[in-house]
Amino acid sequence: MDPAASRPAVVIDNGTGYTKMGFAGNVEPCFIVPSVVAVNESFLNQSRNSSKANWLAQHNAGVMADLDFFIGDEALAKSRSSSTYNLSYPIRNGQVYNWDAMERFWQQCIFNYLRCDPEDHYFLLTESPLTAPESREYTGEIMFETFNVPGLYIAVNSVLALAAGYTTSKCEMTGVVVDVGDGATHVVPVADGYVIGSSIKSVPIAGKDVTLFVQQLMKERGENVPPEDSFEVARKVKEMYCYTCSDIVKEFNKHDKEPGKYLKHWKGIKPKTGAPYSCDIGYERFLGPEVFFNPEIYSSEFTTPLPAVIDRCIQSAPIDTRRALYKNIVLSGGSTMFKDFHRRLQRDLKKIVDARILASEARLGGEIKSHPVEVNVVSHPIQRFAVWFGGSVLASTPEFFAACHTKAEYEEYGASICRTNPVFKGMY
Amino acid sequence: MILLQSHSRFLLQTLLNRVHNLEKAVEVDYNWVEFDDVRYHVQVSMKNPHLFLLSVSLPIPSADTVFCGGLPSGAIEAIKAAYGILVQILDPPRDGFNLTLKLNLSKLPLDEDNRHTILVKVASIREVVLGAPLRGILKQLGSRVVASDVNKLVALVHRPKESFFLVPQAEKVTVVFPMRFKDSIDIALATSFLQEFVEARRTAGLNNAPPCSWSLSPPQELKGAPSDALSANAGFVTFVIFTRHVEGKRVDRVIWSLSTFHAYVSYHVKCSEGFMHTRMRRRVESLIQALDRAKPDAIETRRKTHSRSFKRLVGDGNAG
Ligand SMILES: Nc1ncnc2c1ncn2[C@@H]1O[C@H](COP(=O)(O)OP(=O)(O)OP(=O)(O)O)[C@@H](O)[C@H]1O
Ligand SMILES: [Mg+2]
Repeated sequence: MDPAASRPAVVIDNGTGYTKMGFAGNVEPCFIVPSVVAVNESFLNQSRNSSKANWLAQHNAGVMADLDFFIGDEALAKSRSSSTYNLSYPIRNGQVYNWDAMERFWQQCIFNYLRCDPEDHYFLLTESPLTAPESREYTGEIMFETFNVPGLYIAVNSVLALAAGYTTSKCEMTGVVVDVGDGATHVVPVADGYVIGSSIKSVPIAGKDVTLFVQQLMKERGENVPPEDSFEVARKVKEMYCYTCSDIVKEFNKHDKEPGKYLKHWKGIKPKTGAPYSCDIGYERFLGPEVFFNPEIYSSEFTTPLPAVIDRCIQSAPIDTRRALYKNIVLSGGSTMFKDFHRRLQRDLKKIVDARILASEARLGGEIKSHPVEVNVVSHPIQRFAVWFGGSVLASTPEFFAACHTKAEYEEYGASICRTNPVFKGMY
Repeated sequence: MILLQSHSRFLLQTLLNRVHNLEKAVEVDYNWVEFDDVRYHVQVSMKNPHLFLLSVSLPIPSADTVFCGGLPSGAIEAIKAAYGILVQILDPPRDGFNLTLKLNLSKLPLDEDNRHTILVKVASIREVVLGAPLRGILKQLGSRVVASDVNKLVALVHRPKESFFLVPQAEKVTVVFPMRFKDSIDIALATSFLQEFVEARRTAGLNNAPPCSWSLSPPQELKGAPSDALSANAGFVTFVIFTRHVEGKRVDRVIWSLSTFHAYVSYHVKCSEGFMHTRMRRRVESLIQALDRAKPDAIETRRKTHSRSFKRLVGDGNAG
């Protein structure tokens, strides 16, 4: 037997905002780090004016600079303290955008964070449901040629999230995954284990937009936050203090009546001068997450609330699956972590569904009463890394190793084998 | 990152997490594997949140290396010396592991800095255990004790079923690494990397570093070695360690660098491949740009819809 199959597979979920990495079989990823690389690109600009004389010096500088980069929180810290590093975000809106940065990012994940030998482990990576097959080829090329992995499987992240839901609550194999990450929101219906591709709906609003909105609200109110830090502060404020309210108008009143109870404070240190500062956090606590339910407060281009998108998604699925889909709506991704997010989603969706039933009953003159439709939004404690967890569960089944593309196959047929990744038993 | 750190990042993170939330009882149960097939398992139960069970399994030694009681010689003493009252060695170890330690986190020093130092040391358990025999030999060199087995070839395990070799002498220790790689490209890259490595050693700044050499055929030090040790597809690297290299604190660095030398080379081979890919991608991009510029306009607009996804992938790569 392949000795690599006796070791746990490496599972890496590369997200727009955060990368979750660890070993299959564990309940939590080893590391969750921001998907960002700080590179020292001074050597690249040098090599442009290529005179042969100082070739060796440039060569050496290039070789060293090539190793001179950081990822994750270390990258953010480096770029703040030194101007020789440029931040580069390898993934945008769920798609790999810069392959050089991505390759370096993986290199550090493997050698510096997980500290494993990539030749010793099968790998499970994730992609968004809208990823182009070419992108999978690129991934395969890097994994097999740079890192010599013995086997690779590229899974769709929403499907993994559903797999995570199954094992925690043992429900049936039909459901809708609502994956709200940092850069993309996808609503993916799955029936009897098969993704209904034509019904996938995407929303251009995700975690990053909430952060931008919070940042904008704080700026407009004139809060005293240093501009170079304001995005990071907004993100932390969002993750620590934002919650989902049930009604904006009521919430405004509550805040106005008892500001002492609802107003929070943020204390920070200016990165340039080191001087401490503080600011208030007010309405943005509930207005931030509201962009999913009333997108018009943030964007004039996209105005369909998330519950309505989910409803449309289910309505476009085959009619005999709809009731089951309404019954099992699974949340995944960091931006579903806002307090009471699932309650609000369930209530708003139920309203839409009930209104439609009433309307159809009225149309039929009240002669036929239809069964009420059960709407159930499932929330679970591992929501933040549900995709990773699903990957961890699947990659520890024996079927996983057989479903992987192996290095031998890659060498025989080329990168195109990575275009398709078969669904395997154990997945459903 | 140029050198591998001696502590396991994840083990240190887990320990720090536990220590910072000692009152909060949580279940901890992780399994993971590091390079050279060193496996870890950590466990904390709800009942005893301050007891941290750490199990380690080591690479399977090749026939010529001896493990006594499942551990390299001197490992038990090294553990006791490094951790003192903090740990208790469980016998037998957890099933499938060479060693299980019971750490009593309530016995950690109260001082923040000392505590951190000792936790880093715990996270460097592989250095302590796998490096123990090497430490013994280098200690002898440092104290100029002439060991009884002078000139005898000693094999130490560093990778599954692979050893590196030491020839201890009164004044120096000669260390020989047979270098093996699986992939043919890796072999070629490693071979030239090692030659450059030896070359770099000759530069002025490194006069005091241990002398090193590389050869495609086994050096004479390996004369008495078993025949499978003499086959290495990327040649043999030899270091000579003198007394001055193992004085005081230096010995720790030497132990870690030697016991992870193969991992170091392997990491740099992968980095080189990544670097070459970056260059190749840039080249392809510039060629595609040149082709795009050469296209007549009419074809340009028609082609756009066809090759869209490919173009987006390639074209965007260098924008970010
Ligand atoms: N406790 C929290 N409350 C609210 N938002 C959070 C919380 N924790 C993380 N987030 C937000 O969730 C987002 C990251 O979620 P996640 O890791 O699922 O996204 P991703 O996988 O990186 O992105 P994508 O799936 O879109 O590519 C970030 O915007 C982050 O600010
Ligand atoms: Mg995600």
